[in-house]
Amino acid sequence: MGSIVIDIKELSVSYEQERVLSNIFLTLESGYIYGVIGPNGAGKSTLFKAILGLITHDVGSIRIMGESIEKKRKEVVYVPQKNDIDLSFPATVMDVVLMGRYPHKKVLQRLNASDKALALKALEEMGIADLKDRQIGELSGGQQQRAFIARALCQAPEIFLLDEPFVGVDITTENKIIEILKEMAAKGKTVLIVHHDLSTVEDYFDKIIMINQRVVAVGDTLTTFTDENIARTFQSQAPLLHKISRLGV
Amino acid sequence: MENIWYVWQESWAIRAFLASSMVGIMCGVLGAFIVLRNMSLIGDALAHAILPGVVVAFILVGQTAIGLFTGAVAASLITAVIITWIQQKVNTKNDAAIGIVFTAMFSLGVIGISSINRKPGVHLDLKDFLFGNILGVSTEDLYLILIVLIYVLASVVLLYRYFFATTFQPIIARTMGISVQTVHYFLMLLLAFSVVASLRTVGVILVVAMLITPASTALLLSKRLERIVVISALFGLISATLGLFIAIVLDTTPGPAMALVATLFYFLAVMFAPEKGLVWKATRKRQLKRRIRWEDFMKTTYRLQEENELNLSVLSEKMSYTQAQTQRHVQTLRSNGFFEKEKLLLSEKGKNTAQQLIRAHRLWETYLVEHLGLSQDQIHEEAEQIEHFLTDDLLDEVDQRLGYPTKDPHGSPIPSRTALTISQLPVAQKAIITHEQISNIVTAKLWDLGLMPDVPISLKQKVNGCFEVEQEHRIVTIPNELASAVSVKRFYDDEAVNQVP
Repeated sequence: MGSIVIDIKELSVSYEQERVLSNIFLTLESGYIYGVIGPNGAGKSTLFKAILGLITHDVGSIRIMGESIEKKRKEVVYVPQKNDIDLSFPATVMDVVLMGRYPHKKVLQRLNASDKALALKALEEMGIADLKDRQIGELSGGQQQRAFIARALCQAPEIFLLDEPFVGVDITTENKIIEILKEMAAKGKTVLIVHHDLSTVEDYFDKIIMINQRVVAVGDTLTTFTDENIARTFQSQAPLLHKISRLGV
Repeated sequence: MENIWYVWQESWAIRAFLASSMVGIMCGVLGAFIVLRNMSLIGDALAHAILPGVVVAFILVGQTAIGLFTGAVAASLITAVIITWIQQKVNTKNDAAIGIVFTAMFSLGVIGISSINRKPGVHLDLKDFLFGNILGVSTEDLYLILIVLIYVLASVVLLYRYFFATTFQPIIARTMGISVQTVHYFLMLLLAFSVVASLRTVGVILVVAMLITPASTALLLSKRLERIVVISALFGLISATLGLFIAIVLDTTPGPAMALVATLFYFLAVMFAPEKGLVWKATRKRQLKRRIRWEDFMKTTYRLQEENELNLSVLSEKMSYTQAQTQRHVQTLRSNGFFEKEKLLLSEKGKNTAQQLIRAHRLWETYLVEHLGLSQDQIHEEAEQIEHFLTDDLLDEVDQRLGYPTKDPHGSPIPSRTALTISQLPVAQKAIITHEQISNIVTAKLWDLGLMPDVPISLKQKVNGCFEVEQEHRIVTIPNELASAVSVKRFYDDEAVNQVP
């Protein structure tokens, strides 16, 4: 459908001499929701961190819309796992969402009324506009995640990277988030989601990337999310997992 | 006491006052970030480590304000660099690394000062550095402090969002292209400047009190960083000036007096801060316990009243109270309008409360059985606890999910919800105006406004005590009194979908 937005060639990443990702080739197109699937320690979060330039890679290249990440910061938004957040921090929901405007500002430029209007719009979209003056820690898990998604929307990026966004989140919020992300994909944005609930893979993702330190399979969910690929990705534990997930359907 | 007021005409006192005010504000502002970034120990370390810099500067250029300032800042920054190097390259715990470096620097400084003092005609008083010598503030010192204050304030105002982002979520800050490392070193620089500027006022030992105590007080009082910075500056200012005043009155050292005043405010905040204070928390707990006691009491009364068995002795027996205790409870509840005057009968308000509690209890029991598959004998205790904590919103959702049941698993009827009014709706909530209104006046007023029952409305916003609702693309403003009288039912879009055959 779209153009190539993320182009990864020959990527390898190590933590203290231990290879976490090796020889990754990925070409991701705009307008799709990609699910990133793999067992614990498969390097899913590491892949995100490499794309974001948060860690250095041993070899390989990552191009974001044809450029290095440093030139495309505005266009890439990252929603980390929820447990990385200091919930006692004195920040209101509005403060958090306004952060989405930071990359659009020059060094000494201040936030203005139109930034606030955009933040409010994002909050309304996520259905938590009435919570804007609450401290972030006072919200429920689902509401917090809505706030962080609102921040991502407020940044208006081309690429969304979400690391396990549905963990510790109520079902209504999960549906809301996936609905918004599908809307984004329909508008030509690219969405990558690290995900572990195999039972929802077919409903959520257009395409999937199955990794276990290397790319096991990548492609349309319908043709790629097969028992065989799942077995290869998760090795021994996989068939059971998939059976369990099928039971739940 | 009289000469206290004369003191303020002396120029040294005015200089001392100005210096303390500026230091109080400066440390307060910076302290908010230091505390939130867990850098309190670093603040202490940079302060102690300035001594050798002071000694070297003294040997090189003699006792000038600029010289001492430069030497001190240099020593501070060298310390910061060494600490960071050890933390990153050597396998030593972070706080241990800080401790090792600053105590070593401090010791070097102390030895340096005592050896300088052995030379004839030279006197550097170690005590001045340790506890400050505010009565010796020179005009040059004042200018230095003023410049540092302006520098700190301008940095915090202009670069606020960098400080906010890197303190709150450093990883996100990095993905936004902010160099977390640069912000960190910049903050260390500001810290070094402030610590050195505070030297005359509070001294190296107590400067950390001015950095962390007002900030910690402010953190107990607000939930917004912007406000915390301002409140912290205010407490810094008050602690420093009040401390100076007390020190002059009692003829003692100002530094410790300032630190103690700051601590006093902190202690008051620990006790009395809204929401986070101990007294507030205890009050909340007491109120909650009282509410639960009242609710249980009314529920029991209601059941007896419905069965026509309500009298003082039965009620007391059911509640395991003495009759006098029961009487007292009834009195208190009556004065709050839950009981009829002079009768042992629940008022409408009391009945309502009891009914809602029973609704919560029975709905929850139904939910536990239907959705969690628990058996009937497991659920009562569970519901008995939680019935006091279920909000109306949550209950409505449970009610909806269960398909509006009329009987609980034991077969007892579930009371319906008390009327919801427009004024209780959250913004953006859809609702339907019900046919039955509490009075014909309300119905007539709705008619006047062109608001119809059975057609969904949605609450747009609340402005100046009025409520803007939309019905069929028409915006109608409803005054507060009317909004709190109009009874409505919540409406969900999927309900309409379900109704389509």
